[in-house]
Amino acid sequence: MHKVINQEIKQIISAYPEVGRILEEYNIGCVPCSVGSCLLKDVVGIHNLDPEKEATLMYRIEKAIYPGRNVPKPVVDASKKSAPKKITYSPPVKKLVDEHVLIKRLLALIPSVAEYTETSMKVDKDLILRCVDFIRNYADKYHHMKEEDILFKYVDEKAEVIQIMYKDHDTGRGYVRQAVEGAEKGNKAQIKENLLAYRELLTQHIKKEDEILYPWIDRQLSTTQVGEVFQKCNAADASVGDALPRKYEKFIIELEEKFLQEVTK
Amino acid sequence: MSGCPGSKTIDFSEKTNQEGSETGKRPSQLRQWPIQMHLVSPMAPYFQGKDILLAADCTAFALGDFHKDYLKGKSIAIACPKLDSDQEVYVEKIKALIDDAKINTLSVMIMQVPCCFGLAQIAKDGAEKATRKIPVKQIVVGLEGNILSEEWL
Repeated sequence: MHKVINQEIKQIISAYPEVGRILEEYNIGCVPCSVGSCLLKDVVGIHNLDPEKEATLMYRIEKAIYPGRNVPKPVVDASKKSAPKKITYSPPVKKLVDEHVLIKRLLALIPSVAEYTETSMKVDKDLILRCVDFIRNYADKYHHMKEEDILFKYVDEKAEVIQIMYKDHDTGRGYVRQAVEGAEKGNKAQIKENLLAYRELLTQHIKKEDEILYPWIDRQLSTTQVGEVFQKCNAADASVGDALPRKYEKFIIELEEKFLQEVTK
Repeated sequence: MSGCPGSKTIDFSEKTNQEGSETGKRPSQLRQWPIQMHLVSPMAPYFQGKDILLAADCTAFALGDFHKDYLKGKSIAIACPKLDSDQEVYVEKIKALIDDAKINTLSVMIMQVPCCFGLAQIAKDGAEKATRKIPVKQIVVGLEGNILSEEWL
């Protein structure tokens, strides 16, 4: 088992599909993950299951991998802290979670933008570029950069889960470049495909951050580090000013009004 | 039973399920003097840029590992929201700690009795009056020395 827990989860699920099904039961969503390079031990540890659940999960995984082996019944490590019932965040991390809300409002509008693009006589280049401007300057520059330049520096940046976040950010930037190219060329299919791909990617990315990554980081931060991250994030926000988040919130409200009118026409 | 939970008589001297080790000596983690909220000055060097523990008087007696787990690495001020007078001064001192001493964080440690939450309110009022913003944490200690909750406000 020691060898298995140090293996990448994708390899394990590929060799033992039952392990994927067991993880799903515990709301550990590794099966659809596009990367799957986290080690099994990290996958289990990062979800902060309560000790009894974790022991039972490991027991079931071992039984699935070695059905003929006499696996001892799970031993509960009572010294480990139980997982908190509800997720709470430190103030700087809570600010990042709150910023996700505006990003999710854009993601919710993307199917309408894509459909509007597809059914319009001519590509509304200005609309696409304004959405891209939101993604690049609010979601990426304002939000993702605080993660990359500040928060992630307080944990092991080589950890697979952090590498996956970096990869998601890069993949998202690629979709946005493609959407811009589509807008420049008037290629409706290219715009639609890449905006929808961005939506799917960011929806999963934000869910992973809110439910798994941020709580995991918060558990590692000392009180002193929480204060440091808070001040650094505040300084980063102050460097761009209050006008930036206000501008992009106004844009989202306008977009929501536009597409609400489209739907009710 | 009725009356104020803060002064109600409770005897848990028969408590037997005591986990932990009695071996070894633990050094004091106190790095300053004075510590009482009326006596400390927000301009004292030991507050500048530090993580501050604002502890209700009773907490240090209730928590077995107060020094090791909560005081270590922090500067401290203590107060009793039930018995201390002139508590508006405390609000101003917290504001000054945040704005002038530029403290990094403020952790407020209180007992579970209702009157002790007054200290958390004082901390919140001081933080709200301050121009600078900092993370504020509330730690609630049970009467038998267990941590009931620890959360950022």
